[in-house]
Amino acid sequence: MRRYFGRKLLIYGLTFVVAVTINWMIPRFMPGDPVASMLARARVSQPEAVEAMRAYYTSLFGFDQPVWQQYLGFWGALLRGDFGISIWVFPTPVSTVIMGAVPYTLALMIPSVLLSWVVGNRLGAYAARRKLLDNTVLPVGYVLTATPYMWLAVLLAWGFGVILGWFPVAGGYSFSTRPNWSLDFVLDLLHHWALPFASLFLVALGGWAIGMRNMIIYELESDYANYLSALGAPQRLIRRYAFRNAVLPQITGLALQLGVLVAGALVTEIVFSYPGLGSLILKAIQNQDFFLLQGTFLFIVLGVLVANFVIDIVYVVVDPRTRAGMAGATA
Amino acid sequence: MRQRVRIMVPLLAAGMLAVGCTGGGSTPAPQGSGAASAPAADQANPNDLPRNETLYTSGTQWGPPANFNPLREWDSATGTKGLVYETLFHFDPNAGKLTPWLAQSGSWTDDTTYEVKIRPGVKWSDGQPFTAKDVAFTFGLGKMETIPYHQLWEWLKDVQAVDDQTVKFTFSTANYQEWDFNLYNRAIVPEHLWSKLSEEDVLNGVNENPVGTGAYKFSSHDQDRAVLRRRDDWWGKTALNMEPKPKYIVDVATPSNEVSMGLLLQKGLDLSNNFLPGVANLVKGNFGLTTFYKDPPYMLSANTAWLVPNTTKKPMDDVAFRKALATSVDVKKIVEGVYGNLVKAASPSGLLPQWDQFVDQGVVSQSGFSFDKAKAKQMLAAAGYKDTNGDGLVENKDGSKLSLSLIVPSGWTDWMEAARSIAASGKEAGIDITPDFPDYNALVEKRGKGDFDLVINNERQLSNTPFTYYQYLFQLPVQKVQNTVNFGRYENKKAWDLVHDLDKVKTDDIEGMKAAVSKLEKIHLDELPVIPLWYNGLWAQSSTSTWKNWPSSAQGAPKFAPAMWRNWLEMGGFEALTQLQPAAS
Amino acid sequence: MTALQEVQTREVPATPPGAWREALHFAVRNAKLVIGLGIVLALLALGLLGPLLAGAPPNEYVGPPMQSPSGEYWFGTTTFGQDVFVQFVYGLRTTFLVGVLGGGIAAVVGMVVGFVAGYRGGLVDEVLNMLTNVILVLPALAVLLIVNAYLGIRSVGAQAVFIGLTSWPWAARAIRAQTFSLRSRDFVDLARLSGATTRKIIVREIAPNMSSYLFMTFILLFGGSILIASSLDFIGLGPTEGVSLGLMLQNASQWSAMQLGLWWWFVPPGAGITAVVGALYVANVGLDEVFNPKLRET
Repeated sequence: MRRYFGRKLLIYGLTFVVAVTINWMIPRFMPGDPVASMLARARVSQPEAVEAMRAYYTSLFGFDQPVWQQYLGFWGALLRGDFGISIWVFPTPVSTVIMGAVPYTLALMIPSVLLSWVVGNRLGAYAARRKLLDNTVLPVGYVLTATPYMWLAVLLAWGFGVILGWFPVAGGYSFSTRPNWSLDFVLDLLHHWALPFASLFLVALGGWAIGMRNMIIYELESDYANYLSALGAPQRLIRRYAFRNAVLPQITGLALQLGVLVAGALVTEIVFSYPGLGSLILKAIQNQDFFLLQGTFLFIVLGVLVANFVIDIVYVVVDPRTRAGMAGATA
Repeated sequence: MRQRVRIMVPLLAAGMLAVGCTGGGSTPAPQGSGAASAPAADQANPNDLPRNETLYTSGTQWGPPANFNPLREWDSATGTKGLVYETLFHFDPNAGKLTPWLAQSGSWTDDTTYEVKIRPGVKWSDGQPFTAKDVAFTFGLGKMETIPYHQLWEWLKDVQAVDDQTVKFTFSTANYQEWDFNLYNRAIVPEHLWSKLSEEDVLNGVNENPVGTGAYKFSSHDQDRAVLRRRDDWWGKTALNMEPKPKYIVDVATPSNEVSMGLLLQKGLDLSNNFLPGVANLVKGNFGLTTFYKDPPYMLSANTAWLVPNTTKKPMDDVAFRKALATSVDVKKIVEGVYGNLVKAASPSGLLPQWDQFVDQGVVSQSGFSFDKAKAKQMLAAAGYKDTNGDGLVENKDGSKLSLSLIVPSGWTDWMEAARSIAASGKEAGIDITPDFPDYNALVEKRGKGDFDLVINNERQLSNTPFTYYQYLFQLPVQKVQNTVNFGRYENKKAWDLVHDLDKVKTDDIEGMKAAVSKLEKIHLDELPVIPLWYNGLWAQSSTSTWKNWPSSAQGAPKFAPAMWRNWLEMGGFEALTQLQPAAS
Repeated sequence: MTALQEVQTREVPATPPGAWREALHFAVRNAKLVIGLGIVLALLALGLLGPLLAGAPPNEYVGPPMQSPSGEYWFGTTTFGQDVFVQFVYGLRTTFLVGVLGGGIAAVVGMVVGFVAGYRGGLVDEVLNMLTNVILVLPALAVLLIVNAYLGIRSVGAQAVFIGLTSWPWAARAIRAQTFSLRSRDFVDLARLSGATTRKIIVREIAPNMSSYLFMTFILLFGGSILIASSLDFIGLGPTEGVSLGLMLQNASQWSAMQLGLWWWFVPPGAGITAVVGALYVANVGLDEVFNPKLRET
């Protein structure tokens, strides 16, 4: 087990290094002088502010130093939590801007990912080899999983927001209220959260349901199932074993899907102007706020790595083979 | 079964926890210290703003309110200048006159001395009295190089508070037009607080706890909004007999124009100063939306959109070519096709309708231009631009290929469409124009360095004087990087001298101004360093569900410009707030 | 592309060359495959032929603005009077192009890495596997966002290349696992004994034996590329010239189609993407059933 976690951590560590390196390299590969272009891009017209920023960028990039030193310096700043100053909301530090958005993204992602996984698995398991259910779950599942996140979001916003007027279509909470701990406020938050959550939940649901359905069919066709069946074991028992076996790859699937799920959350937030990381990325791109973009990128990578690790732990807890030191999950 | 329960329970728990988080975790603590320090008695329910006393606005702030520093006129939170901090005067574009505000009166005591009598009895929101010293201090800040009005000190010699009520400005050169502009644009800050700040803090400071003289105070702010609360002890209530009607103003940081439109339709916004394409349909329909005019162009005009040719490059250095180019642009198609009549075609002079009295119609009819495809072809031919290779597009005079690119920022969808339209009509006249959409800041870089053929620009707002307009057109010297004016790098010493002459005309000397403007207009139209296309609107769409009596062209309605945009609150935006009435009463 | 790909990491019986004829027999009788493939081919034909029939370029203002669908404008017109149907058929073209290019590049990279790692094993495998896992964990869209924003990628081709270069890892991993199981089979041993080079063995012996599997992998990568490209377009990092279904969605959204009730502007592009990708997935399951006798419905 130690070997298993050691290997995982090594991969995550390497990934993080790669991500940071991409972040460090890309401005240096940009055509032209990055400092000059950063300055032209910052919408600051005051000569003094421009000078201050030039000094800031130059020292940040550290072009006067040898390359390896620049690289180490970049890491140093990073480890101090210094992501730079946002250009879009000058002079707020990038880390502050990101921390303001993170709770919203987590509040959308965690419930939608977990619930869609749980519900999708149940649904898929029920549908497998049950002709009638299968005929509805399967096509609906395929349509859902093939739907671009932003399109479903637009459809929901249009139907339930614009036409029916049941839900707000923008923001994290009403503009008429201020954050507080009252029940009203929590309800208001939920009201704004419902549609983005629903679109994330639905798209992901389709994928899990199909995955589980197919997995169960594989399991039911496997030798042990046939053997049990031949021994006259009740069908329920066989299905239970099949489900248990099929859940394991679904957990690995969850880890594999994290990138796609994050991408879905980002575009969904954009449709609903939900004040999370997705909206932040859009603003960073529109305002050419590269520090903010870099910071958000690193943050997302970090989040995905942590989630991966959590899933690894869950896997070990669930799958006795990994604990016994047998190769269970493919590393 | 046992096994499955073991999987499900923690997952469900995590799910519930996460659902719970949406209530708890995502609640950013209120950052505005104002919220905490406001007297408790005033806030029966501090968290819910009563809808009928609250005005929701958008279209100014495009990101989180990052600072409340009135000297940062370009990015401070909406209302920092105008609602919280105030200026000596306001400007009324309809009357073309300054209205005394923090100043009770102001006058030139001789040719180079201006004296302001400030209003007695005005208090800062921390209770300290507002005095002439604050005014002198504020203008004195301009001596710092980083202050936006530093340039003022090139012709301002001295500022002194003669006594508590009187400020004396002594000039080396009296630029009357520009001075009036400064009088209604410079926010006055309290000396007793600001004198303690370092230069760095004066320019870059966030000013988290703004203390102003204005009718509102910031009460809280968050990522996507700022909340302002009315000060019931505001001096203007008695001195001006005015009161802005909304008790609260919530300025929403616009995520995007279409979201604003959605909020407006859901009655979550009262005033949207966003460009809302297609809004004409909604105004005509029964959606409870109004704009200044019931018919095209629906909006007042705020600035002129120009086609700026780079006059240092061939063939844009040739007046004849520029004129043919101007004649080839089908502005009507842009106004109707791209904007759906939300904007108005510009007059050849490009002077905004509010400056109509200064337009010399004689000059316009003699030297103006208008769209005429055949004439554009003819002008090109006469100037020596011929189609030698028979592809329907003209070549340069020396026979080389003539191919121009027209840049507008990527993502500025209306301008992108306009650029496509200009390119199409140019091609019909025989000029090969290709639209190109670099990122905004790449465009800024190219534009500043003069590394472009054609660009669309509109960075001059309406002001008290056409001087600002012609300053944009003709300012010299041309720098290595042109930041805000004369992007076409047009050099005409005579024109720039005439702009100076206009500056030195007294602002009450309308005839003198007209004469000076007429000369500039003539040079502009004869030389066409920039080509006026259309007047961008003062985008303002209001919902009548909560507030009524919005400014409009209808009889009896207020005529102020309903805008929260920066630097527009002094030009009628604030006054418009005082005219509102609750819809349900 | 969700959990579907997970199915693919399981062991699939090898496809001996002779099986293709048998597969064809089942293929034409497999409803999923026939329907899925039918939809994809119909849309492909529309994307290929539609632009030829359309009179004007897709961004031309051809008609009155904001018209709802009618006999003349099948999908209505945009705020400017552009024909939504014309944009749709041009957009389909771009969408297929991105899918083929992006999916193809990802498939090639995935195969090379997967085959080499799986066949060679040892240190080569360790290194390649590590590389695969690292890229697998990186969220692809986030990487693409930052790369596109910095380098200003604004053409369909470049977009597809970058999508291909970031979406191969799961395929590589799956192919590696398959290769692993094939490399100890008799016919591979035989080839090795006869002195064939690694490359030859992979190309001649291993790849053909999992050809059905590779084909299905490509289909999934194809669908995935389309979805990623549409997200990029929607965020505003799409091509500046031309039309794609993602760009149509972005335009509709930017010009308030939802608030103005111009549903015919944003429904077709999304439905187009969903139809193409969904039909691909369904066809893929059909293929799976065709090649894998255990799964055939009895």
